Amino acid sequence: MRELTYLEAVREAMSQEMRQNEDVFILGEDIGVYGGAFGVTRGMIEEFGPERIRNTPISEAAISGTAVGAALTGMRPILELQFSDFMTIAMDNMVNQAAKIRYMYGGKGKVPMVLRTPAGSGTGAAAQHSQSLEAWMAHVPGLKVVQPSTAYDAKGLLKAAIDEDNPVIFYEHKLCYKTKSDVPEELYSIPLGQADIKRQGSDVTIVATAIMVHKSLEAALELEKEGISVEVIDPRTLVPLDTDTIIESVKKTSRLVVVHEAVKRGGFGGEIASVIAESEAFDYLDAPIKRLGGKAVPIPYNPELEKSAIPSVEDIVAAVKETLNHR
Amino acid sequence: MAKEIFMPKLSSTMQVGTLLQWYKNEGDSVDVGEPLFEIMTDKINIEVESYEEGILLKKYFEEDDEVPINHVVGYIGEAGEKVPDSPPGESGAAKEQEDVSDSREAQVEDLTEQGISETVTEHISDDSHGENAAAEKPRATPAARRVAREENIALSDVSGSGPNGRIHQNDVMEFAASKTSFKATPLAQKVATAEGVDLQAIKGSGTNGKIYRADVENAKQASPAAGTGGKRIKMEGIRKVVAQRTLQSKTTAPHVTLTTEVDMSEAINLRKQLLGMIEQQTGFRISYTEIIMKAVAFSLKQHPNVNVSLEGNEIVYKEDINLGLAVAADNGLVVPVVKHVDQKGLSSLTAECKRLGKAARDNQVKPDEMSGGTFTVSNLGMYAIDAFTPVINQPESAILGVGRINEKPVGVDGAIELRPMMVLSLSFDHRVIDGAPAAAFLTELKEALEQPVILLV
Repeated sequence: MRELTYLEAVREAMSQEMRQNEDVFILGEDIGVYGGAFGVTRGMIEEFGPERIRNTPISEAAISGTAVGAALTGMRPILELQFSDFMTIAMDNMVNQAAKIRYMYGGKGKVPMVLRTPAGSGTGAAAQHSQSLEAWMAHVPGLKVVQPSTAYDAKGLLKAAIDEDNPVIFYEHKLCYKTKSDVPEELYSIPLGQADIKRQGSDVTIVATAIMVHKSLEAALELEKEGISVEVIDPRTLVPLDTDTIIESVKKTSRLVVVHEAVKRGGFGGEIASVIAESEAFDYLDAPIKRLGGKAVPIPYNPELEKSAIPSVEDIVAAVKETLNHR
Repeated sequence: MAKEIFMPKLSSTMQVGTLLQWYKNEGDSVDVGEPLFEIMTDKINIEVESYEEGILLKKYFEEDDEVPINHVVGYIGEAGEKVPDSPPGESGAAKEQEDVSDSREAQVEDLTEQGISETVTEHISDDSHGENAAAEKPRATPAARRVAREENIALSDVSGSGPNGRIHQNDVMEFAASKTSFKATPLAQKVATAEGVDLQAIKGSGTNGKIYRADVENAKQASPAAGTGGKRIKMEGIRKVVAQRTLQSKTTAPHVTLTTEVDMSEAINLRKQLLGMIEQQTGFRISYTEIIMKAVAFSLKQHPNVNVSLEGNEIVYKEDINLGLAVAADNGLVVPVVKHVDQKGLSSLTAECKRLGKAARDNQVKPDEMSGGTFTVSNLGMYAIDAFTPVINQPESAILGVGRINEKPVGVDGAIELRPMMVLSLSFDHRVIDGAPAAAFLTELKEALEQPVILLV
């Protein structure tokens, strides 16, 4: 099978979806001729034209408001925010309008829109362009939250997100863009709420999101050399969350390490830990649940400091060993 | 300010009470002295009355719950007053309950090695000092606790390999594996698995107790659970206590039983003469039990080395002669105590024995009427029983079993006569009483019953 980068997979999902559904269109800043801040929509304006690849003024409030309105009137807009940090400006439209309209109108209006946005650090983009704020959105009833880590997942999940009749926040990690995996040419859908076991193991379960999935897989390889068998689970969607897969895995391994890039305090890892503590898997825990997350600092500009603000492969290896009392 | 309602401690041996029923609902008003709930202790069923006046605000326990003594059972106060959702000191309370259940698990293994009440006492007394209990409570992961539960292992027996001695799943599994070091042939194991027989419970007939197929099959047949369903009743209350106490007595005290036959002719005469008088005086008919008890008290007075108990390393000679009277109540054996029998006449003894016997059968004996015994009389004379081997009612050191009075041919001055004969069986604890003094006591007793006039002196 051919390999695609994550970025290409996202573009292909949108293109194929737009070819078969006239209602789908994209709007955002510099997504036309320029091809978007990271080049995701590059080339698309040639095929679909400026009507469907709509450049917008620099106003996240305006773009998101337009998307909500378009979705209400029967379109299926895909909105690109250049950086997920800019969500703060689209916040009212997403949290107070998009998330609630279907509920408040008794199901008579629906908001089938996808807000795509690059998240995370690692590009030297500093404190206002490097955050991981998915926990904010996961907290809001009415929003679905997707966080793919591989090209294959990105294509399948984006198709499912576009088909979804409710607003979906689709986080694309900047460092994932250049990762590659086998991606089928045809359009396929990965249902929201279905975790993926990225690696089977028996000694400890790591639940990781976005770029941390890759770091956890690296850590697992390291640990394998010492005879430690690590299972890596990528929830892929935070809302809805596939609790069953995580619970079953913890029942099998008796140990859980949760890893995300977002600041640990109040991060989504706490939710996953709580799910386990409340479930029947509690009685299978053989060590305290370990959470790894970013430090409670704005992401620094200095590349070394930037790296040290979030969990590294070494941190993950150490955390796993700690839960196994190998230290 | 809401007042706590406690589980009362009604005897020196009481550790928990079983809540039988509440007489009040939450929200009901309660007066001082009104019955609040009924509990079953190891000895009696009793109503617990309210010491407070107000509204029953909270009931923390349901019927059939076992509640440790001095635990808060509920609250009484003013309407609308706030009380905790769970019993105060719940962390302590929950811990204690858990420890009690832990200790129960431990008991199952400890049965053959040591007395049960010791284990229970140990744990409960630990808990009364919260800090100690916290320090001694095993640290264990949830997984370790689950496996321990499934394998019926007390966590306190397992040593933990984790930080600060935390017990991990593996530690429990290794402990379980080391415990099941029984030997069985592969065929026996296969049969045991197929038949659902627990190999650990089987004693093998082979060398070093190796279990063969035949052993498994025998065990299967012997097991009452095998095949038929049958009615099952949980061991609780008096039944459980009788089970624990008799087992403890039999396994800690080396029992020796002496028997002798008594010619009851004179005792029968005495009873005939006293019957009318005592009935007139007390309204009760004197029975042989009272005459025998009087004779026992008389003999104990002559032989104080039988009226003893073992406390630690010391033999305690009891000053009082308080006789336990074993009574078969509907739900089990109850032993009310008649105090100072040596100082009582047959008339007041009759009245008291009858009263206590009825109270025992009605489950109405008060805690202080059950304690302080120094020697017990167990009379099975109303049945077709000649002799038996009674089990000592600890901490006492001896017990007298009384059989029926039965006419038998006996030799009297070279002739054979029919005489009303009765067998006495004296079981004594050989640790503290030797055979000769026990025999001397029993002889004294025989002579007293054959010449009962001496009891009236």
